[in-house]
Amino acid sequence: MALSKEIYKEFEDIVGEPYLCADPAVMPAYHQTQFAAIILPKNTAEVQSIVRLCNKHKVAFRPVCTGWSGQFAANTLYIDLRRLNHIIEINEKNMYAVVEPYVITAQLQAELFKRGFHMNVKGAGANCTAMLRGHGHLDQTTSGDDRNHLAIEWVTPEGNLVQSGSLGSSDEWFCGDGPGPSLRSILTSAVPPGVTPGVFTKAAIKIYHWPGPTKFPIQGTSPDYTLSEIPPNFMARYYSFPSVEKMWQAEIALGENEICFELMGFNVSMVAANITTCNEEEERVFKQMEKDVIGPGFFVIIAGNSAADYTYKKKVLEQVVADADGQSLKYVEDPRIEGILICQCIRISASVRETFRAGGAFSSIPVMGQRDLTIRWAVGAGKAKLPLIEKGLIVDDGGGFFGWGVEQGHLGKTEIFCKFDPLNLKAKEAVEQWSLVQSQRAFEERYFANTMRPHSEIGPGMSNFHIWWKKVTQALDPNDVSPAAGALV
Amino acid sequence: MGLEQYKGDMAMCCRCSCCKFIPMQRVSGLQYSNVCPSIAKYEFHAYSGGGRMNIGTAMLNEGLEYTDKLVDIIYDCQVCGACGVSCNYAMDMEVQEPINEMRIKAVSDGHTRPALDKVIRGLRKEGSMVPVNGKRGAWASGLKLKDATKEKVDVVYHVGCLTSYDPKMHKLARATAKILQKAGIDFGVAGDNETCCGGRAYQMGYEKDFLKQAKKNMAMLQKAGAKTIVTSCADGYQAFKVLYDKHKLKGDLEVLHISEFIARLLRDGKLKLRKKVDLAVTYHDPCRLGRLGEPWIHWEGKKIPGDRFVFDPPKQYRRGSKGVYEPPRDVLKSIPGVRLTEMTRIKEYAWCCGAGGGVGESNPEFAKWTAQERIEEATSTGAEAIVTACPWCEKTFNEAIAEAGSSLKVYDIVELVENAL
Repeated sequence: MALSKEIYKEFEDIVGEPYLCADPAVMPAYHQTQFAAIILPKNTAEVQSIVRLCNKHKVAFRPVCTGWSGQFAANTLYIDLRRLNHIIEINEKNMYAVVEPYVITAQLQAELFKRGFHMNVKGAGANCTAMLRGHGHLDQTTSGDDRNHLAIEWVTPEGNLVQSGSLGSSDEWFCGDGPGPSLRSILTSAVPPGVTPGVFTKAAIKIYHWPGPTKFPIQGTSPDYTLSEIPPNFMARYYSFPSVEKMWQAEIALGENEICFELMGFNVSMVAANITTCNEEEERVFKQMEKDVIGPGFFVIIAGNSAADYTYKKKVLEQVVADADGQSLKYVEDPRIEGILICQCIRISASVRETFRAGGAFSSIPVMGQRDLTIRWAVGAGKAKLPLIEKGLIVDDGGGFFGWGVEQGHLGKTEIFCKFDPLNLKAKEAVEQWSLVQSQRAFEERYFANTMRPHSEIGPGMSNFHIWWKKVTQALDPNDVSPAAGALV
Repeated sequence: MGLEQYKGDMAMCCRCSCCKFIPMQRVSGLQYSNVCPSIAKYEFHAYSGGGRMNIGTAMLNEGLEYTDKLVDIIYDCQVCGACGVSCNYAMDMEVQEPINEMRIKAVSDGHTRPALDKVIRGLRKEGSMVPVNGKRGAWASGLKLKDATKEKVDVVYHVGCLTSYDPKMHKLARATAKILQKAGIDFGVAGDNETCCGGRAYQMGYEKDFLKQAKKNMAMLQKAGAKTIVTSCADGYQAFKVLYDKHKLKGDLEVLHISEFIARLLRDGKLKLRKKVDLAVTYHDPCRLGRLGEPWIHWEGKKIPGDRFVFDPPKQYRRGSKGVYEPPRDVLKSIPGVRLTEMTRIKEYAWCCGAGGGVGESNPEFAKWTAQERIEEATSTGAEAIVTACPWCEKTFNEAIAEAGSSLKVYDIVELVENAL
């Protein structure tokens, strides 16, 4: 046991015997790491006590929500936030929801639908914490990243409780910047480069108007769920275009007209992953769709607040697509497929199909920036995938990439990934090399800096931000107990 | 091959945590979105489907040593299959089978629970998974049923251990027999000669004992010349239909749950339900009639080398979509006066009653805790009664209701049908 009996007892006294475990059988369930122990606090006060004890005994800790693949140093205390699973408040008047870390997006979103609201869902999916900061399919209408975080309750790496924004001066959660301390540059959640040390224990999240039903009319049994009817005033389509330039022309025009509820720059491989129920079917459908499209494209959902609003949006959509010589993918016009995609791409319930199902692992380069610029880079990164596809090292997605604008604008997310079998070491190596080369190209050709890479690689070219950030985290975490891996995963 | 054959599947786990919840599209709020009783109760990730995949991998790769905690993790699980359904919404990988194999391995390695060993000793001695209380066929007294061990019959009604030996459950067997008689079915029972199907032994990891029971039962059925076996117990249904087939013992025997049989009889006009049963009910899908009642798919093949997790020949996964969901509902809807309201978690993502996988025997508190949650969910529908199709569910629900002081009633579907005859 990494912890002495005495220290173990001190942690046990905080959470109680059932919620602390250092048994070697439990560790591999979490990750292939020998943790000091796994601890499950039930509230903020317990989190504070745990963190203070970590400081007292110089035990490194990592807080984790639903989890994903992760890397952890040996002897880390793994703080499993599973028991912090309450929706504290849904404030309809001021349009925010306050949640604890283990409320998953699917739960909060379902509660919001009942009240005529929805939220930004991160691309990681409905199974992840609702509190996660990031981007997703719904960024057009629900923004993304820190724009959706309002006041936050944060346990610092030393165990102090900080309440940001309006919460710092009142009991209100409505604002992240005041009246009270605005810590927007520090409280960045798990998104590099500014990965906040400590633990987020509550956060207020912006909520948005939802023009859809209180519940999707799902029918069938898993994994063949469909909608019994397309919700009134909803439509989903996939459009392809003769060139990247034409696609971008349409994307920016749709943004200017502010008519899309969702515009997701899927490649057809991702559409195929969403609507199919197994790998073989996915491959077959992808091959078919690849023949049916005329070039790169995007997926669109329009949602009218009334029949007249819907008619207007549909008309504008069709005009913009026609102006850019776009073509609707017939496959998606089938109401069965359309229904699946409307539900799937609003609930974000099939991210796992898009990412892990095919090969078991994926490696991604995500970037926020000027869309037309990052798309240009992504085209090159996609071409660089083709030799790996030909060799059978990565899953064939046609060299595809994806992305979307945020708040109907030109700024947005672009991402590209390789899906592969993690047990195939040759594939793993090839993907790592691809990632390295494409990241270097992005940096050297001044497209962007891939912040998922070691910061020592990119920092010198970016005002040595990593040195400054390190100074900030050292000040916050003098005992070095909160490794640079984030307050939330 | 055992656990080893699922090495690739277990490695596919991406730790997304979907196995802890009902399928994401079905999540309709904060309440009733959990699907796995084990992780819901014990909290540590090790108790989830995904955690079990990682532990299975560690058992194979690192020869993980058995500790008391590991034994708890292995046995504090109803093996209800819900994690697999939620995982398989998105992923192509086996989940339920590696969990079964971990148990079988634990038993084979001599790491069991005393309460389960005791049950198995009873099985070996008496052919029953429950304490023997009088004669096995005593429930049939006065019904003048054919003895399937002596006479040729078209249909054998396999009653099951709990229904046979628990006097409170005799009503289920008698109701089933009366329904079959009313429909004019040529059926028989094995009476005192009936023996356990072995299904619950398999759930507990005692594979050899299961196989012994399976062989005994198939020999009896062959002798009786029966083409069809009917069970009124979901465990029995899964054993005959799925597990016997998995072990290539079923042959062309037709296996029907009584709810399927009644639905067929109603459809064919051989049974009419005329009397009114004025009752607001909700229906609980027993795991082994629902998602785990999905037919076995025989498959042998190899992974195609390369990028995708695909096989030659293509592998079909049992994702829970082909369980018995509609027949019990069709039967309930055919009973005059019965008003069916569904719970939040139904069909392939139904919450378990708590009794399966030996939990009822080795950790009754956990079984009761699990049932309690279901009772609460059933009550939230406004129903006066929860209807199920398995005596083990009925027993566990009744225990939970008694402890909670709930006014909810529990019925087996055959009781309501009998009342409507």
